[in-house]
Amino acid sequence: MPSFEDFKPFIVTGLALGGVYALQGVGIVVLYRATGVLNLAFGAVGAFGALLAWQLINHNGWAQGPAFVVCILFGGVVTLLYGLLFGPPLAARDPLVKAVATLGLALILLGAMSWIWSDKARSMVLPSSNHGFEVSNVLVNYTQVIAFGFAVVITVTTGLFLRFTNLGTAMRALANDREITATLGVPVRRVEAFAWLGSGLLAGAAGLLLSNLVGLDAATLTFLVISSLAATLIARLRSIYVTFIAAIVVGMVNALITPILSISQYRDMTPFVLATVALLVLSGRKNQALTGRAG
Amino acid sequence: MTSTTTTAETTSGRTGRSWWIPRLSQGDRVRAAVITALLLFVLLILPSLLSGYWTNVCTAVAIYSVVALGLGVLMGRTGLVSLGQIAILALGAWVAARLFFATGLPFPLVLILTGLITMVLGTVVGLPALRLSGLYLALITLMLAGAITVALRTTNFPNGGHGFLGHTETDRGAGDIRRPLVAHADTAYFRYTVIVCALLFLLALLHVRAKPGRAWAAIRQSEPAALAAGVNITLYKLWAFALASFMTGVAGALLAADVGQLFTLAFPTQDSITLLAAVLMGGIYSIWGAIVAGALMRLLPALLDNWGLPADLLTILFGVGVLQVLLTAPQGIVYQLPRDLKNLGRLLYGLVRKVVPARERAG
Repeated sequence: MPSFEDFKPFIVTGLALGGVYALQGVGIVVLYRATGVLNLAFGAVGAFGALLAWQLINHNGWAQGPAFVVCILFGGVVTLLYGLLFGPPLAARDPLVKAVATLGLALILLGAMSWIWSDKARSMVLPSSNHGFEVSNVLVNYTQVIAFGFAVVITVTTGLFLRFTNLGTAMRALANDREITATLGVPVRRVEAFAWLGSGLLAGAAGLLLSNLVGLDAATLTFLVISSLAATLIARLRSIYVTFIAAIVVGMVNALITPILSISQYRDMTPFVLATVALLVLSGRKNQALTGRAG
Repeated sequence: MTSTTTTAETTSGRTGRSWWIPRLSQGDRVRAAVITALLLFVLLILPSLLSGYWTNVCTAVAIYSVVALGLGVLMGRTGLVSLGQIAILALGAWVAARLFFATGLPFPLVLILTGLITMVLGTVVGLPALRLSGLYLALITLMLAGAITVALRTTNFPNGGHGFLGHTETDRGAGDIRRPLVAHADTAYFRYTVIVCALLFLLALLHVRAKPGRAWAAIRQSEPAALAAGVNITLYKLWAFALASFMTGVAGALLAADVGQLFTLAFPTQDSITLLAAVLMGGIYSIWGAIVAGALMRLLPALLDNWGLPADLLTILFGVGVLQVLLTAPQGIVYQLPRDLKNLGRLLYGLVRKVVPARERAG
């Protein structure tokens, strides 16, 4: 068994990764609550944005700042467009059908990415990764700080936004019952568009951070969303605060297993294992079996 | 339910037929004739028309159509979406390779054993999610697909090495995974595969036509209604999952013996999603749809490669296909697709009926 000293660097890695998972998780839960769509293309959108930024910096001579903005905006625009085009026709369908439809978007983006950029290894370094500080002999860079800090800020502001603003209240109302909300005069489509845009921007930002923390590879970034999905599943697709905590736990467990050599190579199975355990606990509550989207 | 069984029993008592042979309507008889003719064509004539490369492609198509049928049983019949079927296929291939290297069991026995072991593993995984809503099953199977990819990357496939994992890096191990004695050459193995796949299709068809099929239809249409009608929802969901895993496991064993050497790269997580897309495009509700899906998965990439087009086009096409299928079937694919197919089938049947009596009169 490794000593505590061996674990220390991985606490930082875990918190940073957990932070990005939380960002994605919050984006997924807010969108699911407001529109009933579980966006499985969340990772693919971020990956495409990150590769686009890489392309602009390395082949089109853009400065880093604008390229990063393009990455985040790309996430917002693509997600919003998908929402506007495919949201309304699928609105009345089963949540499962809506989720499967987003796999269509994921496949289109995956195919386009591997066509345009092939599977070569690339890297993108945020300026914040080159600077850091030391906490008890562990080097912490600012990207890691940003990842965790941003996740905390986003989770809290989203929580406050949903609680105290008119738009947020409308989103919560939509989450409860779309028909009744529409009858009450809430502009349903406009509220949904905001949810799509917001979660899309989060997808772009998360893609940018992940490309830095994990690596710039289309398939890896696309399927890293599995970790965030595990967090949302543990939170039963409801509370963003539980999602945040679950995401940090997934990130931490994943990272802290690294120094334990006997199981180190299996660490990426963490989301599956944690989600299965959570499901076993959840499935004790039978009433969920009959309601797809209990309020 | 009871009354039907009794009628069937009395009928079988009178005619001396076994109770499990379904009474066939005229449409069924025509369908059975068409299927038999097609099967004979594929078994006897097709291999002589194809070069070695295309025979191998067709073997893969047959194997993947069984995987697609497994997903069709889950999605089209029972309304369960699994995003991890390729992972289960990989699991089946792993188990089969392990059995081939560890034992000298005859090939058909290995096929059945692999199916059963994969069935147990697949069902255990699905168990916690089956009691929750379908979205959770989709999520947990997607995670399973990711997890199995991770596990296989580390353990690799057995290639005749020692220990439980049976993988050795040093040499090529004990050589290729063996094929059945009667079907060692590619063409013979193609025929063998088609026969096994046809049996699996028959197994699925018998399920769909019998009590499980009716229970699945009830569950798919409305779980509360099925519950009220006395259908044991968890049991039949589990049954569907077990059947799909069994079929996918056998397909994995066929695949293992087909390629001889298994590599983790052949089972990317992405393929589970591509499979879902192919099955949706092929038609989740029909037996034919599974064959179309198998062709989309394995024949189309070979064709694109032959024409010098990038395989990534196919991924994009599948993405567009998913959206198209879901959008243009507003009542749900589960309702729309069989109706289109039924209309088409009625059209064809009408044509056949016009032609057949004319011939009978002439004869």
